[in-house]
Amino acid sequence: MAKQAQLAGVVALLIASLQSAHAETVNGGTIAYAMTSLRWATYLKPDARVDCPDGVNDGPREQFSALFPDNGQPRELAKTQLQREVQNWFPTTRPDYFPFREPGGTQALGLNLDGKVDPEDFTSLDGEPGIDNQMYRALGCINSHRDAQGINDSLNSGEIVSNEYNRTLVELNGVDDLANDDEVEVKIYRGLDALHMDAGGKDILPGGTQRIDVRWGRKFIQRLDGKIVDGILTTEPSDLLIPWAVFNLPADEYVRDARLRLTLSPTRAEGLIAGFTDVESWHLQMMKSQSTHCQSYGQQSAMSIYKAMRRFADAYPDPRTGANTAISSALRTTFTQVFILPESKAALASAGPLPRATMYGGTPHPRTPEEEAGDLPGRAVATREP
Amino acid sequence: MPTPPGVRVQATELEGPVFADAKGRTLYRWPLGQLRNGPTGDPPGKSECSDQRIEVSAGLMSPYPSGLRLPDLERRPACTDLWPPFKANERARPVGDWTILKRKDGTFQWAYEGFAVYTSVLDRRPGDVLGGRSDKRGGDSPIMREPIKPPPDVPPGFSVTTKSTGRLLVTEKGYSVYSSDHDISGKSKCDAACAETWIPILAPAFAQPNGEWSLVERSAGVKQWAFQDRPLYTYRLDGDTNKLKGSDVPGWHNVYLQRAPAPPAGFTVQDTTVGQVLADAQGRTIYTYFCGDDAMDQLACDHPTLTQAYRLAICGGGDPGRCLRAFPYVTAPEDAKSTSRAWSVITIEPLTGRLASPKQQGALRVWAYRDRPVYTFAGDRRPGDAFADGHGEFRGQRNGFKAFWLRDDFFNGDQPGPG
Repeated sequence: MAKQAQLAGVVALLIASLQSAHAETVNGGTIAYAMTSLRWATYLKPDARVDCPDGVNDGPREQFSALFPDNGQPRELAKTQLQREVQNWFPTTRPDYFPFREPGGTQALGLNLDGKVDPEDFTSLDGEPGIDNQMYRALGCINSHRDAQGINDSLNSGEIVSNEYNRTLVELNGVDDLANDDEVEVKIYRGLDALHMDAGGKDILPGGTQRIDVRWGRKFIQRLDGKIVDGILTTEPSDLLIPWAVFNLPADEYVRDARLRLTLSPTRAEGLIAGFTDVESWHLQMMKSQSTHCQSYGQQSAMSIYKAMRRFADAYPDPRTGANTAISSALRTTFTQVFILPESKAALASAGPLPRATMYGGTPHPRTPEEEAGDLPGRAVATREP
Repeated sequence: MPTPPGVRVQATELEGPVFADAKGRTLYRWPLGQLRNGPTGDPPGKSECSDQRIEVSAGLMSPYPSGLRLPDLERRPACTDLWPPFKANERARPVGDWTILKRKDGTFQWAYEGFAVYTSVLDRRPGDVLGGRSDKRGGDSPIMREPIKPPPDVPPGFSVTTKSTGRLLVTEKGYSVYSSDHDISGKSKCDAACAETWIPILAPAFAQPNGEWSLVERSAGVKQWAFQDRPLYTYRLDGDTNKLKGSDVPGWHNVYLQRAPAPPAGFTVQDTTVGQVLADAQGRTIYTYFCGDDAMDQLACDHPTLTQAYRLAICGGGDPGRCLRAFPYVTAPEDAKSTSRAWSVITIEPLTGRLASPKQQGALRVWAYRDRPVYTFAGDRRPGDAFADGHGEFRGQRNGFKAFWLRDDFFNGDQPGPG
């Protein structure tokens, strides 16, 4: 009996020892990370023909040529170029007669946002059903958002590093163990400083310092509740405003019921931000990031994508029309560990009440039913069947 | 500085000293520049601005092709209708940086630093600079006509940049220059620890004082530039060019050679996620509209006397009523008066966007900046929103709206100033 007790004690010690080997203590219970990449989660095979059996979509240049061929007849700038720009800046749900090609597969990245398994849902790469990512249907066959060819996708993600407007920080507080903790506080800030790079200026290194932007970045200060299970942080749904400016114009993404799912380590974090993206905010961010010229690089027709997003939108119905205004989506993201300077936290403590983030509501706000449907003067020519 | 007969230096509110003709009309040039699909503008020694009306687009800005018939063609002016050449008579001779070129019609035109010189029909009084501007609107903006200026009166190593807040003194590399209230009587109180953050702008040993510029001795043989008896510094935490961050530190100020005129009474300043914008009394962000067409002569389309086809398309999809809802004019009270030339009250036909007579029925009295109306945006719901910043072609650099930025902390200080 004594031997058995002795053995049990040894086993208990061994288990405790093993557990402590897996536990990751966090100095002071706080660890922070800075975002280093952000891309819409479009799961892709290298060969577009696998994901998009009908091919990829046309962009502004191809659509313009189809609508207004150079056949020797005079073409009016006001009825061609300007009308295309009108549809970009005042998008509607009216069909544009161009076929919209969407991915043909059943797998997608993302999370089960509504806890249900619906016919239009996807299956995750590891077999989880009920994945909500209708954004993938809208972007999966747009060259610009395909990994290898997605030049605008790469450019937009590159701005997360290079543009300090986009310096999103995630701070975890009350962390007893980075591997498992059933209650952590997650604070979101905008940082003010460049990321810590290696000597070659290529790789981002952990351990840099950041100040919190408590003046211009007050709208980005947000709080989430989370837990850590087996090294994966998951947060409760909450609306999230993410700064994402490209080409020197302020622009943000507004994701409703957003949740983080990040695999944590002491030096980095990576995973998904999933939720229901506000379609109007998405469209505005895209229009501000890329003019029609830049959209043409990646066959990214703003007006066609808007129509697709409104068709695929699956949440937050407009109380006036019943039409959904948000689309299930996921963003792939990576972070590197940073230290937030204590004096910055002190400034935050005295920053006073924080403003609520504003979600863009469309142009103008609110729209009339006629505007929503696209029944506006001057649309007939530019929306004609090619 | 030698100039042609009659050419003088004229003080202006926004651009500082510019060259003007004998009647005080600002002189401009239009140097050749590269656009997406090719160049346009004047090459040295030649004027491309003709009296022939251009009828089709040049296709210089992708993705749209060339050859599209331009809007309001029957009313479209020729280049010289808007930009009369600054003519030289047959007996004129080159002087200093001023030379003479021969136009296609055989007449002679002054050139400055090789580029043909023009006046603008939009300028009505001495000191107006309504035709063009010196600050850049971004890489996709039209090839701009720029006012011709004498070199700024600053020592080597300094420069002046025109911002919405005034003519900002910067180093030759574009970093903002600061002075301190702590420095009195031409002495620097910034010790070694202070100089870690505030970097004294040192002068070479042979530098000499000149006018408002003087030298203070930091230590034996080490001289620091001073302007108006204030020693000058850069701010280490600015990080980038054209910044105003250092002026947040109590007692420290950006240095201006000239401040911009104050906006009308009742206008406000609002914080945004980028910096500060000018706003109306209710805190709604003020926008300016900017437009240059895609023809070889790159004529402006943002003035109430010029075509409104571009603006009506981009502010309301071609529907004037929708324009008024989406981008309302900023109306001026009956008794409103401007204290500057930069800001004025003009009368507009709301449905056409054209100038109206003051008594015209239905006309609106609206605030204008540089003779062009300013707007708010219906999509902005709270003070500090600036959702329409960049609304329009090429992110607002070609045919679109820009917020009236007073301060930009994030985009290298390059948020273009108001249109």
